[in-house]
Amino acid sequence: MGKLSKPLTLAATCLLATGITAGLATAEEPKRGGTLVMSAPQTPRHLNPAVQSGTATGAPGAQLFAAPLRYDENWEPQPYLAKSWDVSDDGLTVTLNLVEGATFHDGKPITSKDVAFSVKTVQENHPFKTMFAPVQSVETPDDNTAILKLSEPHPALLLAMSSQLLPIIPEHVYGDGQDPKKHPQNSENVVGSGPFKLVEFKRDQHIILERNENFFMEGRPYLDKIVMRIIKDPSARAIAIENGEVHLAAFEQSAQNINRIKKAEGVSATADGYAAIGPIAWLAFNTAREPTSDINVRKAIAYAVDRNFITKAIMLGTAEPALTGIHPGSPFYEKDVEAYDVDLKKANQILEDAGYEKGADGMRFKLFVDYGWPDVKAVAEYVKPQLKKIGIDITVRAAPDFPTWAKRISSHDFDMTWDVVFNWGDPVIGVHRTYQSTNIKEGVIWSNTQSYANEEVDALMEAAGKETDLEKRKELYSKFQKILADELPVYWAYALPYHTFHSDKVGNVPAGIWATSSPLDLVYLK
Amino acid sequence: MEILTLIVKRVSYAAMLLLAVVVLNFILINLAPGDIADTIAGDMGGATAEQMAEIRADYGLDLPLWQQLFRYVSNVMQGDLGYSYFHTQPVTSLIAERLPATLLLVITAQLVALFVGTLLGVLAARKPNGWLSHIVTLIALFGYSAPVFWTGIMLLIMFSLWIPIFPVAGMVDVTIEGGWWSHVLDIARHMVLPVITLSSIFLALYSRLCRASMMEVLGSDYIRTARAKGLSESQIVFKHALKNSLGPVVTLAGLQFSAVVSGAVLVETVFSWPGLGTLALQSIIARDTPTIIGILFFSAMVVIVGNLLTDLVLRLIDPRIRNRA
Amino acid sequence: MNDSTHISTDEPVLRSRHPFVETAEMFFRNHSAVVALVVLVTIVIAAIVGPFFYPTDPFEMVWAPFSPPGAEGFLLGTDYLGRDMLSGLLHGGRVSIAIGLAAALMSVFIGITVGALAGFYRGWIEEVLMRITEFFQVLPTLLFSMVLVALFGASLPMITFAIGIVSWTAVARITRAEFLRIRELEYVTASRSSGATNAKLIFSVILPNALPPIIVQAALMVGSAILFEAGLSFLGLSDPNVASWGQIIGSNRPYILDASYTVTIPGVAIFVTVLAISLVGDGLNDALNPKLRQR
Repeated sequence: MGKLSKPLTLAATCLLATGITAGLATAEEPKRGGTLVMSAPQTPRHLNPAVQSGTATGAPGAQLFAAPLRYDENWEPQPYLAKSWDVSDDGLTVTLNLVEGATFHDGKPITSKDVAFSVKTVQENHPFKTMFAPVQSVETPDDNTAILKLSEPHPALLLAMSSQLLPIIPEHVYGDGQDPKKHPQNSENVVGSGPFKLVEFKRDQHIILERNENFFMEGRPYLDKIVMRIIKDPSARAIAIENGEVHLAAFEQSAQNINRIKKAEGVSATADGYAAIGPIAWLAFNTAREPTSDINVRKAIAYAVDRNFITKAIMLGTAEPALTGIHPGSPFYEKDVEAYDVDLKKANQILEDAGYEKGADGMRFKLFVDYGWPDVKAVAEYVKPQLKKIGIDITVRAAPDFPTWAKRISSHDFDMTWDVVFNWGDPVIGVHRTYQSTNIKEGVIWSNTQSYANEEVDALMEAAGKETDLEKRKELYSKFQKILADELPVYWAYALPYHTFHSDKVGNVPAGIWATSSPLDLVYLK
Repeated sequence: MEILTLIVKRVSYAAMLLLAVVVLNFILINLAPGDIADTIAGDMGGATAEQMAEIRADYGLDLPLWQQLFRYVSNVMQGDLGYSYFHTQPVTSLIAERLPATLLLVITAQLVALFVGTLLGVLAARKPNGWLSHIVTLIALFGYSAPVFWTGIMLLIMFSLWIPIFPVAGMVDVTIEGGWWSHVLDIARHMVLPVITLSSIFLALYSRLCRASMMEVLGSDYIRTARAKGLSESQIVFKHALKNSLGPVVTLAGLQFSAVVSGAVLVETVFSWPGLGTLALQSIIARDTPTIIGILFFSAMVVIVGNLLTDLVLRLIDPRIRNRA
Repeated sequence: MNDSTHISTDEPVLRSRHPFVETAEMFFRNHSAVVALVVLVTIVIAAIVGPFFYPTDPFEMVWAPFSPPGAEGFLLGTDYLGRDMLSGLLHGGRVSIAIGLAAALMSVFIGITVGALAGFYRGWIEEVLMRITEFFQVLPTLLFSMVLVALFGASLPMITFAIGIVSWTAVARITRAEFLRIRELEYVTASRSSGATNAKLIFSVILPNALPPIIVQAALMVGSAILFEAGLSFLGLSDPNVASWGQIIGSNRPYILDASYTVTIPGVAIFVTVLAISLVGDGLNDALNPKLRQR
């Protein structure tokens, strides 16, 4: 594990380099000042990412709160609040050396006690239990050193200490005994540690942030102010980018608007920066219920659905095909798996051989397809006429609101459902949960709602979660993906085409792995 | 004095109606499958079974329905509309943040519709079979017959994209510097498209009714007398006829408050107007029960107050009603 | 939602029997109403028989997505899944008009029942029924329908019910007002004293005479129900297995910037239909309104 940690000297050099870290270098000299207007597609519940996952909280959260580490676009950890770190050779001790003199927005110093408190808060309240599960304790020998003690090696830990996943929150504010999930200072008077301070949060209107003059990174941030305008309608956001009202819009996924902005003058669209978010759109099967419990039915459906049509025609070429449950942008993605390229004849034959005779109306059986998100409505509608071609009579079940859908799926009352599930950086965090046989849980969405169980797959995940050697880890995940592709608990279709729209006036558009859910201290206006 | 008793009677009666709104909707919403714990789990990217149980216990969702209802209603009686699960804020303050934006939109749109509608109606009534009358009817009917959100989208494309003179969304531009007047001007600029869209539905109603009622009045005996006395046509129309035809128009406007609030939901969605409508859609989709009921409560209150005000206005413009009561 | 055209006056107007012919004559003198009637009949016929002559399934993917109108033999183009817009328009019209009719029928039924009982029996029955009416009047219609459809599923019957249940108050008010007026008229008192039962009085004596304004209101309500359904669809509350004009608009809304025809076409269809209904309603109102007839 030693090779993943950065030598102190290199980290120090990075800090000295004025403003530009590796990979973010641009030809131009950044300019200071100005107000960046961003759009946000939804109102966050509140602004504290320690007790709330999701990208709505992530974008403002990563500005308000600094994490120990940040990542560049090559998945390399970079110093942030921790100027350096060290992972012991047995992988059981992780030491963070914090920047000296860093302060919270209220002027009080950021100490290792706050780091320990933040880890504890996340452990207790964040939905992603796997992030810090092996962390036994956090020792604080002095104000600038935090030592995380682990029960077993945990290669996902460094990623879990970046961006929005481990915001360093002040113990003297959030440790006052109130439930941190409902703390009033999650939404107003936020005392953060990051490059920007909260000025105003008006639900469904805007979030205004201003430069933190005492930010621990000298000379940053460049911007005076960030205004996040909450505009829910995708067309309205596209118009706002085009007519110059908004400079930067992240997490845009409408194929039409992506192509439109690519063609428009003075604005650009980029797909860079979303590798760690890892959103995959897929068609999940209920493997515990007839007839989708039959592997032949699942294979026939996989052969009938045309991934190429989906990515090229429905998504207008903006989306990348996803062949497995790991995002194509992840270093662990295995592309050499059975892809089930469209073959209607074969699909019909499989069903015929398996004994599903066509009835008088040309249909073999009926199935429901659910969908929980407007984003996958089009593909959900697509399977209706498409599967009619192999004699499956589909009814699209609309769930008008999220709880209705979540209830149906999590209580296993479904045949198939379109869904979008996020990888969240490391497979341990976002991938394992939907395939572990130990995670078949009634009433919990994004658990293993497919009821898929395979001991070998369980063992592979267990081993890969602890493996500290990157190559060996890749091998384990490769095998994992191949078995899944054969057994098809899920038909993975495409990576959601998240794009960042920006005016050409914006410099250093975030291109790491966390998109705008990372500190925007380097962004400037030309 | 007489108005005072009327108000007292109406207010106590309104309180009963509001209570009924609360109780009915509380029961209705709790009959549906799924609850806020699912939403929060969804919003957080997943949650464990323990966390979901904790959320339910936290909000008392594990209690039997009648106990929840009892608790909720007794809180509402004390003026506490509860706590928004989704926004982690008291519902009253959440709504207080939004109500002004909706009121601004709804009242402005109603006034514009009333004013322009009456004007068009009068113009049309003067020559009921003239070309102006037909054009007025058509313009008015356009607003009424086109789906309001569709009108909004078309205006948005025309005046924010093709000819970008109006902002595409929201109520204020926070980047604007300057004195209070530049902010007022800014809000006014943001209001133009939403107000036109929302008032277009009601323009039709008011202008048609005004036309009909004007024609009725213009045919009556005392107008004939006025004509015989040699009063000028504009004096007849605006001084005598209009005054007497306003009654039905105002009555109708009072009845439209519920429809205006409904229209506002659609218009707010199109223009990302930060009012109750956008909050409502979000809360319904998130199954944020206290917020949904809170919004229904306040919208019903807007309707009731609107009706009460209409009554008072009617009394002012039409002495006959005053005497009848 | 819309009761403007009925100019209800509480002053007792003696309404003599209106022969059907006289009304029809009056109606056909109104040119715009006649044109609207022709348009409306055409639309209804197209919606009823259109799908037989143009049997393409509106859900079938027939061509590349977003083919503009006229291209490749698809008169109105294709939508985001390559489905035929013309087929959607014809099949969707059937559903939209059916929802409009069903919801209006439901409102009229509830409205007449409530209004007639209240107006005829008076006393505590009237008190209770009018309180219920007021309750539904203060309930913001769209919000309440949204709650119903969101909670209990976006199926056609649920959508129809959700529209009907919030739209009947105007009919109830009009019916009650008419009943209050008519029940005091001479011929009613006459049949009452000649021993007619309450049922007979309600159904065959008072109701037929109260019908004209109710008919006008009902006609207009079909239009507003179509608009209402479109509004719900726009908010995402529609049945994805059934094409309706509103559903087509709602589904295509995300693509409005570059394929605006997918939203414009069904929008125009709704607009023309509702406009025609309004004009016919106007014509009916004028024809049935005795005061205007005198002029």
